[in-house]
Amino acid sequence: MATVEQVGSAFTEPGSSPAGTSPWRLVAYYFLATGAIAGAARFVFGLGATTNLNDGYPWGLWISFDVLTGVALAAGGFTLSAIVYVFDLKEFRPLLRPAKLSAFVGYVMVVLGLFFDLGLPWRLWHPLVMWNPRSVLFEVSWCVMLYTTVLALDVLTMILEAREEERWVRILRSIYVALVVAGIVLSTMHQSSLGAMYLLMPEKMSTLWATPALGPLFYSSAIAGGLAVVILEALLGARARRRTPDVELLSSLGKGLAAALLVTFAMRVTDLYARRVPVWSFDGPHLLFYLELFGTVALPAALLGFFPAVRQGRIGLTWCAGLSAFGVALNRFNVSLTSYAGYRDFRYFPSVAEFAVTLGFISLAILAFDFAARRLPLHAPTP
Amino acid sequence: MTKAMLIDTTRCIGCRSCQVACKSWNELPAEKTAFSETGSNPRHLDASNFTRVLFLESPAPGGAVRWSFVKRQCMHCLEPACASACPVGALEKLATGPVVYRDDRCIGCRYCMLACPFQIPKYQWSARVPYVRKCDFCADRQALAKKPACVETCPGEALRFGERDQLLAEAHRRMKASPGPYAPEVYGERTAGGTSMLYLTAVPFQALGLHHRGFRTDLGETAVGQASQAWMSGVPWVALAVGALSTGLYHLNQRRHRVKEQEEKGD
Repeated sequence: MATVEQVGSAFTEPGSSPAGTSPWRLVAYYFLATGAIAGAARFVFGLGATTNLNDGYPWGLWISFDVLTGVALAAGGFTLSAIVYVFDLKEFRPLLRPAKLSAFVGYVMVVLGLFFDLGLPWRLWHPLVMWNPRSVLFEVSWCVMLYTTVLALDVLTMILEAREEERWVRILRSIYVALVVAGIVLSTMHQSSLGAMYLLMPEKMSTLWATPALGPLFYSSAIAGGLAVVILEALLGARARRRTPDVELLSSLGKGLAAALLVTFAMRVTDLYARRVPVWSFDGPHLLFYLELFGTVALPAALLGFFPAVRQGRIGLTWCAGLSAFGVALNRFNVSLTSYAGYRDFRYFPSVAEFAVTLGFISLAILAFDFAARRLPLHAPTP
Repeated sequence: MTKAMLIDTTRCIGCRSCQVACKSWNELPAEKTAFSETGSNPRHLDASNFTRVLFLESPAPGGAVRWSFVKRQCMHCLEPACASACPVGALEKLATGPVVYRDDRCIGCRYCMLACPFQIPKYQWSARVPYVRKCDFCADRQALAKKPACVETCPGEALRFGERDQLLAEAHRRMKASPGPYAPEVYGERTAGGTSMLYLTAVPFQALGLHHRGFRTDLGETAVGQASQAWMSGVPWVALAVGALSTGLYHLNQRRHRVKEQEEKGD
């Protein structure tokens, strides 16, 4: 069978560098170790002693980055499966499995991240049996749990393929449609609902970000963030694993990224205009706002959309995708953190332990993805 | 049949015995205090201080200074934002009035703290097993047909406990009877959908400038939590539409490919 042959070739990738040689890997191990120490300290000494969270800022770096940014940047999984199966753009198939793997790794990090942030993390399962259907966060927690399961089944299929467990692969393939549709539905729901969580506190936020359109805006920017990560992962991962990336295909996906960014930009501008928000000013929030909207949405959209030379080059594509991903992170920080500046006489800046845990998660995500990418049939054809 | 509290700040003398009574009924630890620039003490509400009297100076006619003493605690909203936010239903508005918190359900996500328009829920940051803490309107005392501890102890009759509609009528009666000392508004009557705490002040809340200190005047008359409910009522329909559309297109695409394959074979 063709699949098995390709699995074999993916398994012993020619020229793949042996683990443990790159200096980047040592840096990742270092941050993983410091993150583990800080994480242990958080459980031994409690949230108050190890974080700078307070009654004025009950949510900090871990929510803004590990959860909100993490979920948005892991949107590539459902976006790619919608592109391939719903919009029938089959040429993007080679990117589907890497996207799903990175989404799975991302969601596992989000759930682990929540484990550190929740005050009573051993009750993570409570929303499953204690329902509050009025709560947006109730819906988000259900969706995240279910979607992580869907992604886990996807990755399980890849593992079983690599181990040539034909019978089990067939069983999982038989529910493949259901998994694809469930992934798209669940992602649409929680990606937008994460934004809708902030509909409850418009009076506390800067008018630049406090909008009734937060749900749709989170959705469209997550799609852009997910596409950006798929492109980045393909370009940087190819370099790390000494493969040649399909730049033509990635630049074609770059057009999609430009479209997602343009839609996001148009929605933002329309929303600001409709709400008559004073846009021109030079205080802190406005500078962050300009950086976000012009620097990380409009700029990469224009470069990718209107300058084929940028889009078709490896370097141009890397920078544009990197800028877009950074922009999505900046947007999540603005909505969930900087937007509240000056609202109360409390201040917040993350503690060393908070930074250490977050850097540990980033390192863990990269190491875990690399570990799996070297072992799973990521480039085998999917049905 | 929903209980409320009328807080007539013009009668408050700033003795803070309500703070002491609250501490002792709820068995909250005492703590070392420090002078503050206004005289309000402690400096913030927190997990071991459920109520606090704000000492406020404002200019009065004739160049004098007028003191306002405004007691803060949970407002016990008629439609609480915290209860709409909580993913596990740990916060609940009782039909009798109090908004109560159930330790055994809470997962510690702290979304209630963000959602509350009055900045009331506080966290036990230094505990290894932390919970949310706030005033619960002495729900336990109410169950024993007793008044809340703060009302019981208030020497100036600034606090009054009773049925919400009766207290509202009383508030309006006081305003009408002597319009001089009262600003013409009852904070809490319709604020953010209405609260169980009803305030009478000498100076309008807008002029007291307590926007950042728990008494916003821009909340409107709809409950904050309705945004949550409105969003959630749309979610099933979006899910259904996206699900149907993706399933339909998936099968359509599969079929198209099969037909194409067969045509190619036929040729």
